Amino acid sequence: MEKKIDIEAAYKASDEVVAREIEGELIIVPLTSGIGDMEDELFTLNETGRAIWSKLDGNKSLKAVVAELQEDYDAPVEEIEKDVTGLAQELLNRRILVEAAKT
Amino acid sequence: MSLSSAALVELMTAVLDKGRSFRFLAKGFSMSPFIKDGDVVTVSPFLGRKVRLGEVVAFISPQTHALAVHRIIRKQQTRFLLQGDNVPEADGTVSAEKILGFVERVERQGRDVNLGLGPERRVIAFLNRKGWLFQVRYVLWRLLRPLRDGLRRIANHDLSDKER
Repeated sequence: MEKKIDIEAAYKASDEVVAREIEGELIIVPLTSGIGDMEDELFTLNETGRAIWSKLDGNKSLKAVVAELQEDYDAPVEEIEKDVTGLAQELLNRRILVEAAKT
Repeated sequence: MSLSSAALVELMTAVLDKGRSFRFLAKGFSMSPFIKDGDVVTVSPFLGRKVRLGEVVAFISPQTHALAVHRIIRKQQTRFLLQGDNVPEADGTVSAEKILGFVERVERQGRDVNLGLGPERRVIAFLNRKGWLFQVRYVLWRLLRPLRDGLRRIANHDLSDKER
């Protein structure tokens, strides 16, 4: 069963991925498959995705990420929250993102 | 997704630095018939071991400054002479730092085609160094393939005998 995202929790990139911003695109390679340039094995994020990804540092909760993005972008909070939780859920399902240990 | 050579080098280096293998689609014909256009190539990090004669490696070409996958045909202390199996001229020498990793596996249409990566690599390197490989590469491929398949069958037969 897929784990549901928790907006109060903090998330970070899995150690099992390599992410690099190359030629204006954020490219994520899962190390488990390790396939470098095959369409179904590489992930790229658009501008919104990149803005969200850059804030997923394992320290801030998703709620705090939404609040920070609201300061940066002129968009309704519901829309930002939907984007953040939607992307986080997708990346969690693909094991690109992991929940950070609570301290 | 089609990546530029520079992007591929950056991603490959990042993955190899983590001690993991990197797989990508081979483009071009410079290593044919051992590696063909569209084959899936697995490049692995050396993890401290020495670079060996005859190995097929991923490196930054001294001529084009792009990523290339060719064979080491001569070792010269800390520098290596590289050449594609299907090209008549060498790439020139490169230092160890320009070699990203070695080709561990080649898959063609879902099947392993690792010919030229085992002990036979030394023979291929010798023939290439002498300038003879270009003429005999397809003959060599046809000779080596049944030999390898035969050895594999014997190995599998021995294994099944032991299991009995």
